[in-house]
Amino acid sequence: MTRYLLRRLLQAIPTFFGITLLTFFIVHSAPGDPVLQQTFDPNISKAAREELRRRLGVDEPILAQYVSWLIGNEWRRDPDLLPRRGILRGDFGNSLNEKRPVLQMISERLGATLLLTGTATVIGYLVGVPIGVYAAVKRGRLFDSLSRVLSVVLNAVPGFWLSLVVILLFAVKFREWGLPAIPSGGMYTLTAGSSRGSDLMDRLIHLLPPALVLATGPIASVSRLMRTQVLEVIRQDYIRSARARGLRERTIHFRHALRNALIPLATLLGPTLTGLVGGAVITETVWSWPGLGRLFVNANFQRDYPVILAGFVIGAVGVILGNLLSDVLYGVIDPRVSLS
Amino acid sequence: MKRIAVVAFLVLAGLVLAACEPEVVEKQVVVTQLVEKEVVVTEVVQVEGKPVEVTRVVTEQVVVEVTPTPPPVPQGGWVTEVSFSDAKILNPILSNDSASADVHEQLFGAALEEDPFSGELIPDLTEGWTVSDDGLVFTFTIRDGVYWSDGTQVTGKDFVFTYRALKEGSLDSPRLSNVEYIAEINLIDDMTVEIVYSELNCAALSELGLGWLPAHMYKDDFTDIQENALNTSPTVSNGPFLFKEWVKDDHVTLVRNPNYWRGAPHLDGWIYKIVPNATVGVQQLKTGEVDLFDGVDPKYLVEMEMLESVGIYKYFDDGYVYIGYNMGDPENPQPRQNEDGTLNEDHGIHEILSDVQVRHAIVYAVDRNAIISRVIFGQGAPVQANVIPIIEWAYNDALEPRAYSPEQAAALLDEAGWLDQDGDGIRECHGCLYAEEGAPLKLTLITNAGNETRESIGVIVQDQLGKVGFDITFEAMEWNAFLGTIVGQQFDMCIVGWTNTGSDPDDEGLFASQNDLPDAGFNFVSYYNPIVDALLKQAKTVPGCSFDERGALYREIQDQIYADQPYDFLYVPRRILVFNKRIVGMDPGPWEFRSNMYEWYIQE
Repeated sequence: MTRYLLRRLLQAIPTFFGITLLTFFIVHSAPGDPVLQQTFDPNISKAAREELRRRLGVDEPILAQYVSWLIGNEWRRDPDLLPRRGILRGDFGNSLNEKRPVLQMISERLGATLLLTGTATVIGYLVGVPIGVYAAVKRGRLFDSLSRVLSVVLNAVPGFWLSLVVILLFAVKFREWGLPAIPSGGMYTLTAGSSRGSDLMDRLIHLLPPALVLATGPIASVSRLMRTQVLEVIRQDYIRSARARGLRERTIHFRHALRNALIPLATLLGPTLTGLVGGAVITETVWSWPGLGRLFVNANFQRDYPVILAGFVIGAVGVILGNLLSDVLYGVIDPRVSLS
Repeated sequence: MKRIAVVAFLVLAGLVLAACEPEVVEKQVVVTQLVEKEVVVTEVVQVEGKPVEVTRVVTEQVVVEVTPTPPPVPQGGWVTEVSFSDAKILNPILSNDSASADVHEQLFGAALEEDPFSGELIPDLTEGWTVSDDGLVFTFTIRDGVYWSDGTQVTGKDFVFTYRALKEGSLDSPRLSNVEYIAEINLIDDMTVEIVYSELNCAALSELGLGWLPAHMYKDDFTDIQENALNTSPTVSNGPFLFKEWVKDDHVTLVRNPNYWRGAPHLDGWIYKIVPNATVGVQQLKTGEVDLFDGVDPKYLVEMEMLESVGIYKYFDDGYVYIGYNMGDPENPQPRQNEDGTLNEDHGIHEILSDVQVRHAIVYAVDRNAIISRVIFGQGAPVQANVIPIIEWAYNDALEPRAYSPEQAAALLDEAGWLDQDGDGIRECHGCLYAEEGAPLKLTLITNAGNETRESIGVIVQDQLGKVGFDITFEAMEWNAFLGTIVGQQFDMCIVGWTNTGSDPDDEGLFASQNDLPDAGFNFVSYYNPIVDALLKQAKTVPGCSFDERGALYREIQDQIYADQPYDFLYVPRRILVFNKRIVGMDPGPWEFRSNMYEWYIQE
């Protein structure tokens, strides 16, 4: 087990460097210039612009920038440069626009994103699992067909589109028609009073719509996986012997079949979470949710390189760890799988 | 303050009345009123033989004298304003974006500010200033009696600290050009500051409009400005409002400054709310979730006018939208001047657009009025040259508009040697000035994707130029790629606009040949006219900087630019400010609508 973990972690190192190299050069080769963006103003002279470029360190050769970004810039021995420790030592640099540490900006918004994706995941599993089990039990019946069609549709519908439809119908039209409407975005009602944040209902009504939209993906994939697994499990001998022992159908399905069918679900958790963070980028933008997604989208438009790169690197590490976690969980839950 | 003014007015009115009608004997009228008043009475009562002190409330009727006072201004309430983009950094010398400025202008006063109606520079945290005879030394007297929110007095030290930090502090700031021509920043005494410029520049005064930082909160060597908690939570300020909180990408909340030197605001505070797009902003105006939205798209104007709860204020923006013609060689962009200021021999020409007749033809071929009425629903005014009408003292109103005339355009193109002899609908060069014989009249037109207005203009321009024999390829590019292409001078024609051009008509950045610098200068259309070069320099360095003398020079510049048409100037957009009518006391001007926010109040 330990050896397996160690081997997987060692394998992750070249992957990680490959990702940093690729993202760094792809991001920097996209057209755009953060300095020109900040100084798109005819009253700002060329000299002032060059000076800013130098102080930000974006005038250096791209390879030097890459090395500084990885390991810090002490090796440059340039007293004018702001000291940087490099991402390998946990320093993701300062945002070019906001002039403050990227990690600080990320940590400010992490909570909002985790709340949204966490809620979406919980909803996804809570709704997806029962649907999958029930569909398997009622195999071939109407509910089964319905759930399968629905899961294909939910998987195919893009989240941003669904969000816009939900906003248009339940926030805008409902308000016009005088029906109880949902808020069109944000985390809470901005009333400047002291009650903000402490009003649970207000928080919930803001959280649930985007979380439900975001949960459609997991609901679809979890219910489909669940259905296949349960179908496979109920064909096993031990289920037949359970029946032979005269157990009730409900006990057979939920005590014996479900528990074994849940195993592959654990492995879905890692990819689901990382996938949700990716999907949240768009959903957060549509719902004006002040999370990481909007931070990275805006940073992309403004060519705020340190922020974009931090997004990629943290995302990549998340995927690597998520997959590792899935594999390890598999070994822990299912004794048939050996991890050596 | 208000009340004193009212009293003073009454006294004055009394004097005037007394002067007009001397025989009227003034009578003192005393208005009295019977008021029930609750009085707390304490008496000693005997309870079971013991004296016990008992208090009770008795209602008494009292006659009181009443002085008539104007109804008091309702206090309290919040104004929520919409913005599409969040502030980036709340430090006036580190930010250059309008969202950050919207917020920190409410927090930090500056040496001077723009008059909301005329755009003229007027004193803010200074009493005023004097200028030396050579126009290089400005001496400011600091306003007395202004205090930072922590109780420290605002002095010249703050002014000096702020500008020295930019000049000497090795900051990475987009504001470095504000101090480029400042040679010295001297503190004469606590309340007197002297700014010495290295060269005469009539447009330089506006560079002193940056908000002051509280010097006592920073180290003297400027090392802790770049990364300081005050940049995101500026808790020490002196403006009408104080910082309360900033939730990134969500909102900024400011609350009233009870000690604001012009008078404490009536409002409890102001919220700057970030919404993802205009549709949401307009929707929230309708529901009353937000009160104020500056820059509503004209397509929502009718919808807003139908809404009873809101008022609308329209004003001309300080900027314009135009089509830029590249007059250099897009295949080989070159700076106009060498390092030593001599002309660069390698600077190429544009085969089609270097011919002024072709540029005029395009102006005649594009129907600006159609663009104004169809694309921006009438919310704009045509402009003929580079100075906008709201800068009255420099605006040249004598320029005859080149009105839409495809016939005139066709005649000019014929004359310029662009004829369609093969009958394919596209003209070719037959004796034109610069292109090869037989070359088609083919140009690309670019703009930034996502800007609906400019994309619609592009389609119209492509269509209208096609009708007179151009072959136009129109492309909307991603903003960063677009910036790179236009500043890199690798285009034929571009649709773009200038905003926030400021109240000074100086345009050296756009039309002087020394700023024809690929990838670095803003004369990216490669305009070169030695007369304009000289006039721009002269207009900026008129001794005394009088409006009369400078205005005459700027009108001459506009004559030249009108004749040369380096741009097809399209229109000055009209900005639409929509506000909920519950806000009372707004006094918006074209240069600033929040200037008297401390006087606004809420009347439900």
